[in-house]
Amino acid sequence: MSMATQLAWKSNSLLRFASKSISRSTSNGCIVAHYSRSFFCNNTNMTTITSMRPEFQLCCFTHSAASNIIGSKYLELTDEELMKQCVMDTFKASGPGGQHRNKRESAVRLKHIPTGIISQAVEDRSQHKNRASALRRLRTLLAVRVRNTLDLDAYSPPPELLQILPPKSTFRGSDCGPQIGPNNPKFILGMQALLDLVFAVEGSISDAAKFLGLSTGALSRLILSDDSLRMAVNELRTSKGLKPLK
Amino acid sequence: MKLSSSACSIARIPSLFASLCRPICSTSLSLSPSSLKPTTPLFLRPPTFSTSLSELNKWHHWAKNLASSVGSSFVHLDNGPDSTLLCRELRWLLEDSLEDHSLISQLGSQNYHMDVRLRASLDELYVLWRQRIEERRPFQYIVGCEHWRDLVLSVQEGVLIPRPETELIVDLVKDVVLDSRELKEGLWADLGTGSGAIAIGIGRILWSQGRVIATDLSPVAVAVATYNVLRYDLKDMIEVRKGSWFEPLKDVEGKLAGVVSNPPYIPSDDISRLQAEVGQHEPRLALDGGVSGMDDLLHLSNGAVSMLKPGGFFVFETNGEKQCQFLVDYMENNNPGKFCNVNIVSDFAGIQRFVTGFINDKCH
Ligand SMILES: C[S@@+](CC[C@H](N)C(=O)[O-])C[C@H]1O[C@@H](n2cnc3c(N)ncnc32)[C@H](O)[C@@H]1O
Repeated sequence: MSMATQLAWKSNSLLRFASKSISRSTSNGCIVAHYSRSFFCNNTNMTTITSMRPEFQLCCFTHSAASNIIGSKYLELTDEELMKQCVMDTFKASGPGGQHRNKRESAVRLKHIPTGIISQAVEDRSQHKNRASALRRLRTLLAVRVRNTLDLDAYSPPPELLQILPPKSTFRGSDCGPQIGPNNPKFILGMQALLDLVFAVEGSISDAAKFLGLSTGALSRLILSDDSLRMAVNELRTSKGLKPLK
Repeated sequence: MKLSSSACSIARIPSLFASLCRPICSTSLSLSPSSLKPTTPLFLRPPTFSTSLSELNKWHHWAKNLASSVGSSFVHLDNGPDSTLLCRELRWLLEDSLEDHSLISQLGSQNYHMDVRLRASLDELYVLWRQRIEERRPFQYIVGCEHWRDLVLSVQEGVLIPRPETELIVDLVKDVVLDSRELKEGLWADLGTGSGAIAIGIGRILWSQGRVIATDLSPVAVAVATYNVLRYDLKDMIEVRKGSWFEPLKDVEGKLAGVVSNPPYIPSDDISRLQAEVGQHEPRLALDGGVSGMDDLLHLSNGAVSMLKPGGFFVFETNGEKQCQFLVDYMENNNPGKFCNVNIVSDFAGIQRFVTGFINDKCH
């Protein structure tokens, strides 16, 4: 099996698995189905999870027309909707918990069922906050790992991408509003669209810049302004034998 | 987060040392009335102490070594904390003690004579960390607060430290009030409120017409819950009443839209085997649920029938699968036809933890 077929098969079976488990949780009308038992209680050792740097896998999931949700759509979901696509567990299920324990861990791990992406957070003092951090990280991971295929012949940058471009872009109309930076939650949507383009042009910044009406230097600066974005682009470039951006 | 500024004025002068010298009581009821002034959490005290960075560094070094020396010995002893967790707690203690958090990253740097402002004296910090390790005094009592959901709740000896599992009760309530105006604007009761955690969590999701009555038998719990309610500026929405379970609620019989409770549910025989932080420091009144652990759960489920109005919702936290299933059977057999949509809900560790349901009428 070629790499690509293997990946396609893997993502397909995951999607099938996901749709099964999602329909199970909604069909019984139970409002709390998404809190239900997790699938992976026993395998993680807390001490290995101190660094939250996302690991990048290239092209994990290229969403084809056959799958009913395209990749960018995950990021358009509200926190609650996205949470419903996840199973959440805490790391330790040793002992009876509850009143028996002085809080050992409020660490949280989310597994996004449709893609299999796992995101976690341990450093906050309440479970609630760890959950929010894990969800924020999940959004970044989704942007970085889920690729939508583009038709370059008919390409024009989508609005969410135009929003993160510097004003010099010749495609950026006055209706775009001010440039959105990495601290704005909407940045992630633009970042995903930008990565779709960079992947479509196989990592060439100058090619991507042309599609965006920017100079190569201006696009490089944009990519370097966000750690996740820079790392994803550099990972791709390294795999294509190109020099990483610095 | 909006905190009432007037609330802070009810905070008494830090009485940390008083509380250190006081013997730790195993039941909240034995505390003398004078100790009912709630202690101000460390992070809210004024930064009136100072030391040099090098002295702080020395303390930090000492505290870290003490934490490391624990290794996993507490884990083996009674499933207590290991040194990784203790080191994390040490960082949180620093966060709460230092006026300027950015100093944490400068510990160990060259800037030795720099002045550092602290919310407790360095001597107290030595005493506190020794208590944490040697007496297994819970970290949350040391700093006087617990982070729970998006809240920071004041806690002290005599009040149960709210657990991460219990955070889910608020989400369960959120789910049902979402589609019901009647529940959103209704009257709720949190029985055995402790620090007030659940009541405050619910108070913040109800609409402004909604009300919560929080009850507890323990005077310390009533004082601390009142303090927390004031701090979150919810005194118009949440009323704290002292008394046993439904007793202080006679005036609202049959009028409640919702009843939630995390009552004591540990079987009496298990109390002596609890990890030291819990068994030796938290109030027995908050933990001991009688021989089977179910005395209070059964009492509450019976009371819910007459206290809730038709269509009213309840959530009870339990010790796990056995109690959940027993409670569901008990409800069906003891009050046949009275409840509907009774469900068992697991916590995030996958343990069956909550029983939820409605009083019959609304669900056809
Ligand atoms: C497990 S603690 C729960 C505290 C708080 N609701 C929480 O979740 O953090 C049980 C609480 O029930 C209270 N309690 C025990 N017996 C009671 C009774 N007969 N009537 C009212 N409250 C009682 C205890 O004082 C304690 O605050």
